[in-house]
Amino acid sequence: MQRLVESLRRLPGIGEKSATRLAYFLLGAPEDLVGELSEAIGRIKSETAICERCFNLGERSPCKICSQPGRNQSILCVVEEPADLAAIEQSQSFQGLYHVLGGALSPIDGMGPENLRIKELVARVRAGQVEEVILATNPNAEGDATAHYAAECLAPAGVKVTRIAYGMPLGGDLEYADHVTVGRSLENRQLVQ
Amino acid sequence: MASLEGEAIVLRVVEYGESDLVAHLLMPEIGRLTVIAKHARKSRRRFPGSLDIFNHLTVRISRRRQSDLGFLEQAILRSPFLNLRHGVRHYALASYLVELLDRMAPEAGVAPDMDRLFDFALSALGVIGELEPDLKLRCFMELKAFDALGLRPELEQCVRCGDPPRGPKVGFSVPEGGVLCGVHSLAGGSNLLSVHLGTLRVLRQALIYDLKHLGRLGLSGEALAEASNVVFRFQRFHLGFELKSERFLEESLRGVA
Repeated sequence: MQRLVESLRRLPGIGEKSATRLAYFLLGAPEDLVGELSEAIGRIKSETAICERCFNLGERSPCKICSQPGRNQSILCVVEEPADLAAIEQSQSFQGLYHVLGGALSPIDGMGPENLRIKELVARVRAGQVEEVILATNPNAEGDATAHYAAECLAPAGVKVTRIAYGMPLGGDLEYADHVTVGRSLENRQLVQ
Repeated sequence: MASLEGEAIVLRVVEYGESDLVAHLLMPEIGRLTVIAKHARKSRRRFPGSLDIFNHLTVRISRRRQSDLGFLEQAILRSPFLNLRHGVRHYALASYLVELLDRMAPEAGVAPDMDRLFDFALSALGVIGELEPDLKLRCFMELKAFDALGLRPELEQCVRCGDPPRGPKVGFSVPEGGVLCGVHSLAGGSNLLSVHLGTLRVLRQALIYDLKHLGRLGLSGEALAEASNVVFRFQRFHLGFELKSERFLEESLRGVA
C-alpha cells in the first residue's frame, strides 16, 4: 500500500492525500478494473510513439493527425505540449497541422532553445508547403518569450507568423480579470454580427 | 496570524501538489519571501494573470510566524513588464537578473536595506524592457545588482591600504572584493585580475548612474572584456556556481556588441 501511495505521489498534480485516496479506491475496486489499469500503464511506453513530423504522441508515427488526408498542409499550429494540441483539437476550430515544441523557454529552469524542437520547426517550414505558422504557446512569460524566439527563427523563411489572441475566457468575469487581459480584450474587440 | 500587505516582484513560480503554486517574491522592507498560493492553478478568480515571473504585484500574505512560509491571500497585477517577453535578449537578461536575486536576496526579515534592493529590481526590469540588452548592459546591471545586494566591490581605493589606485593598470582581487594599489598589486601574485584605470572609472560611474542612463556610458573592446571579467569573476566567487540562465543569456547576447 505504501509503495503504491509513493508511486502515485510522483504523478503530476497528485499530492499525498489524493495518492492515498486513489490507493484505497484501487484496493476496493473490482479486479478487472485494476487489471485493465495496470495493463494500460504497462503498455503505455511500448505502444506510444512520438510522431516524427509533429512530435505529438500517438500509437504510430506519423500520428493520426499528420496522416489525415483532409488536413490543411499550409497552416502549422505550434504548441508547447501534446496536451495543448489536444485542447485545440477539442475546439474543432483548426484543420491544419501541428508542431509540438516539447516545452517553453525557461532559462531559470535550465530550459533553453536546445531543449525545444525549434530547429525541427524551422526545417519543417523551410521544406515547403507551409504558408502560415500560428504560435499557440501559453500566454505567460515563458510562452510569450518562446513565441518571439520562434518568430525570430522563422523570419528568414518568409512565412506568415501569427500569435493566438488574448482575451476574456468563456464564462469569465471582468471583475476578476487582470487589467492586461481586459485591455487586450478591448484592443481585440470584434463587431457584433 | 500576522497579515502582510504591500508590493512584490515575482522571482520564481513552481507548481506544488495538485492545485497550488509556490512563489518566490521580492518585497520591500522584507527581502525574499516564499509564499504558497493555494488553489492557484484551479481557480480563475483568485490570482488572475498575476503569478508569473517578473510580475509586479500588490499582495496580501498571512504568516503564522515571521520565519514561516507565507500564504498568499490576494495578488493584484500592477505591471507584467510585457516588453521583457517580447524580445529574446530582454527575456534572457531579465531571467538572469531575477535568478540572481532569487539566489542571493536575503530571506525574509533578516537583512536591512531591502527597500533599496526592491527599488533596484523594479527599475532594472523596467529598464531592461526599454533598452536593447547587450554585454555592456549585462555587466552594469550585474554590478548594480551586487551593489543593491550589499556586495558592492571596492573600486575607489586599495582594499589593503586605502591608497587610490594609480598607473595605467592595477590588480583586482576577487576574494578581497576590490582593487589593489600599485604596491599591493605587485605583491598580489598571479590571481589578480588586471584592469585599466579607465575601465575602473566607467564601472564606478555605472554604480552612480541612474539605471535609465546606463546606455550613455561608453564601454567597448578591451575595456568591456576587462569589466565583464571582473564582474563575472566577482559573481562566481560570491555565488559559487553557475546560474541556470547564464548559458541562455550568453547565447542570446553573442554577436551583440
